[in-house]
Amino acid sequence: MIIQFRIILFVLLLLWTSGIFYQCLLEKFSFLLYGYPFAYNAYSLVCHQDPAKVINLSCGNSLVCSRCLGIYFGLLSNSIVHFFYEIRTNKNFTLVLIAIIPMIIDVILTTASIYNYSKAVAITTGFLFGSILFLYLYNGLQNLIIETAKR
Amino acid sequence: MKKYISSFVSGFGAGVLHVVPVAKSISCCLIVPLASFIALVLDKKANPTADKITMKKGALIGLFTGLYAALFGTLFDLFITLVTKNNDIVSMMPELQKMISTLPISETLRTEVINLYENVRNDIMQYGFSLLYALSIIINNTVVNSVVGIIGGLVGAQVINQRLNNRNGYQ
Repeated sequence: MIIQFRIILFVLLLLWTSGIFYQCLLEKFSFLLYGYPFAYNAYSLVCHQDPAKVINLSCGNSLVCSRCLGIYFGLLSNSIVHFFYEIRTNKNFTLVLIAIIPMIIDVILTTASIYNYSKAVAITTGFLFGSILFLYLYNGLQNLIIETAKR
Repeated sequence: MKKYISSFVSGFGAGVLHVVPVAKSISCCLIVPLASFIALVLDKKANPTADKITMKKGALIGLFTGLYAALFGTLFDLFITLVTKNNDIVSMMPELQKMISTLPISETLRTEVINLYENVRNDIMQYGFSLLYALSIIINNTVVNSVVGIIGGLVGAQVINQRLNNRNGYQ
């Protein structure tokens, strides 16, 4: 994928991930206050926003839960890696399965109260899944661009 | 329309699940991407060919699934708000006021923002409808669900193509 597309992808992911910390941005940019319920509603479409599972910072709470935050950080960090090095996937989905299994196990075990919900574990398993998911998203976008350019 | 009937079916399902709190807490961010994947599977079953799904088709089916999910999600949300005269904005108002009071902002801005939110809340509590709220969820649902739907379509198409590859390899 040409560098311009990689930059666009990175910027979009950066904007989305920054929006998660909307409450913290309010301290610097108070005019954003008008859009707070709007942003809260936007993130509610992709996360349950359980107050017990969101990240609490001194400047405010994140707008998504720890696991979703991990997924978006995973996507963002891999988009940074792709500036310097394009990781090629072998189009085999074993990697996705390996990445999603720890997340599913954590969800099942915490829901069944076998152990308590841990934000650190949720972020880590989410990050693993997000960073692998990026490879397939990237591959899909790359093929989409090639298909579109052919026509 | 007929071309995207699978998107319509799974988009409708995703729209319904958007307003079911328990389903939402379990599936989290996966509702619309999964709906896109299901739409691709349904489409493949309706048109059984050995051809791989192109990424363009995957993205289009994902986009339409997201748009249908947005349409039905918005309609259900507005209908429930109209009937119950209550929604997230109304229930988050006390917390919002508390948060605004702690922010280091001018008194004018604080009053202006609180008045704006209170107008929305009063409209919802009185009439079950607020134009500003309706516009905000229409825009949010359309943009977010479309993007998430496209992502689901792109990844889902690769999953289905991989399965097709495996099946063709064994034959």
